[in-house]
Amino acid sequence: MAADLTELKGMIEAALPGSSAEVIDETGTGDHLRAEVSAPQFEGKSRIDQHRLVKAAVRERFDDGTIHALTIRILG
Amino acid sequence: MADQELTERVRELINENQVLLFMKGTPSAPRCGFSMRTVQVLDSMGVEYGAIDVLPALQPLREVTSEISDWETFPQLYVNGELLGGCDIVEEMYENGELAETLGVEQPAGEAPAAEAPASDEPYKSPPMSIEGS
Repeated sequence: MAADLTELKGMIEAALPGSSAEVIDETGTGDHLRAEVSAPQFEGKSRIDQHRLVKAAVRERFDDGTIHALTIRILG
Repeated sequence: MADQELTERVRELINENQVLLFMKGTPSAPRCGFSMRTVQVLDSMGVEYGAIDVLPALQPLREVTSEISDWETFPQLYVNGELLGGCDIVEEMYENGELAETLGVEQPAGEAPAAEAPASDEPYKSPPMSIEGS
C-alpha cells in the first residue's frame, strides 16, 4: 500500500501546531519518503528530539507498514 | 518488552564507549548503505569508535534501543552516552560542522563544511570528550 503524502503532511502538521511540512516520494515507490518540516516546537531541541517529534506524528504509518524509510529534514 | 539482560548490556556498552555505533555489518564490511555512509563520516573525522553489528540480533536490539532511546532504526550513533542520531542526522551534522564540535575534533580538511557554516578562527578549546566526574 502506497503512502498518502497528503495524509502524512496533515498528520505532521496536526501533531505540531503551527508547523509546515512537505512530504516527498523520493523513489517513486511510495515507501521511501522524505519530510521537510519546520515547526515552532523544534526551537531549543536537539536534532534527535526534533526527529522524534516528526516520527511520532507518523508512527501509525510505520507501525502498519505503509512507510519503510522516512528521511527527515528540519528546516528553519 | 525488551530482554532485560540484553538491555543492561547495551546500556553498559553505551556508557563505556564515548563514541559507539550500532550498525548493520562491520566498519570494514558494512551491510547497509546507511551504515556505510555513517562509517565513512566517522572515519573521516579520525575518531576512535566502537562498532556493534546489530544483524545477529536485529529484532531484540530494536526492542532494546526502542526502550532506551525511543529509536528503532539502525545505524545509531551514541556520543557520551546519548543517541546523536542515525545516518541523516550524522551527515547533516557533519556538513554543518556540528559533528566535529560534538566529537571535540577539527573538521577534516579537504572536505569543507557547508558554505553557510560559520568559519571559526578559534579551535575548539574543550578537551576532547571528557566525561564529567570521571
